[in-house]
Amino acid sequence: MADTKRMPLDGALEVLHRRRDDQVVVSTMTAILPWRGKDVTDRDLRCVGFMGGASTFGLGVALAKPEVPVWILDGDGSLAMQLGSLLTIANAAPRRFLHVVFHNGVYDTSGSQPVLAEGRMSFTGLAEGAGYARVARFDDVESFDAALDELLDVDGPVLVELMTEPLRRDYVRPTPAQERLPGPLAQDWPIVRDSLASA
Amino acid sequence: MVGQARRAEPIPAEALYEAVRAAGVTDVVAVPDTHVRSLIALMRERGEMRFIQTATEDEAITLAAGLVVGGRRPMVQIQHAGLFACVNHLRGVAIEGRFPLLFMIGLLNRDPEKAPRDNYDSMVRYTEPILDVFEVPYYLLDGPEDVGQIEVAMQQALERNGPAAVLIGDQTA
Repeated sequence: MADTKRMPLDGALEVLHRRRDDQVVVSTMTAILPWRGKDVTDRDLRCVGFMGGASTFGLGVALAKPEVPVWILDGDGSLAMQLGSLLTIANAAPRRFLHVVFHNGVYDTSGSQPVLAEGRMSFTGLAEGAGYARVARFDDVESFDAALDELLDVDGPVLVELMTEPLRRDYVRPTPAQERLPGPLAQDWPIVRDSLASA
Repeated sequence: MVGQARRAEPIPAEALYEAVRAAGVTDVVAVPDTHVRSLIALMRERGEMRFIQTATEDEAITLAAGLVVGGRRPMVQIQHAGLFACVNHLRGVAIEGRFPLLFMIGLLNRDPEKAPRDNYDSMVRYTEPILDVFEVPYYLLDGPEDVGQIEVAMQQALERNGPAAVLIGDQTA
């Protein structure tokens, strides 16, 4: 893993953020906080507490609203928990669907434990084998930035694997809930539904 | 709700189909299930409700939730073993995410002479207790006269912003 060239997560998110318009963006795990630091719109959805579900959640939005572009900001550990979703997405063939996988090689939010088969496995290989329309892998911000417009223009589903640096934040023990409050997704989705109602 | 003691009868696919349509279902998100295969065949053949197949039950729940965000009214169609496989998504998406989601769950291999909880088959026996643990309201459909419960369950899901289920007691005809 030490030999793998990697880009900063924030640089990769900035490339995406510069092209943010009316897309529905589904983020999960490590990408949530830095993405929300860029901007929060009425089309942002956060997936927490059911690892691996972000991409098929976004697929549902895409199938309901085929003309609205959907971006998934996924993690390597998350996607590893639901690899079958690659087949489900390829089978449904959403046209305007960008599946970004931040491949940092670790479970960043749980203490930086390594992901499986790191250094030997490839999400682009898995997605291509599953039947995605297009896949691409980048390890520096500049080449990702240069290629993204064309990737956003092709008929999807498109999977982009970004080799990113782990954040290696110190693990912060969450505070136990003292009451039953709506979680991030319960807060977000009615706002996005209303935003999409006229789309 | 405790399973009824009366003998379960096969429900004709046509009757189930019409009841699902009457409940306003726009999309059926499913993992293939032999118990209701005649219903799935009818849905695929007619194409009035969009039929979307997923690899796992976890995906069926998240995909259906995404459809809700896009203004659709989906139904998740799975088997009892699939329910056991997806309980974290049932909790994390349908319950904690507060999504109105109707589940149709096939009780494959259920002894039609016995209430589900009294079956020797553990997949059948544990289905209702699992739903009880997760506080999911459910209705056992043990014959054609029960199909109206599908609309009742859908309304309940919409009113509580959470999951509700119908259980298919015998293999569909």
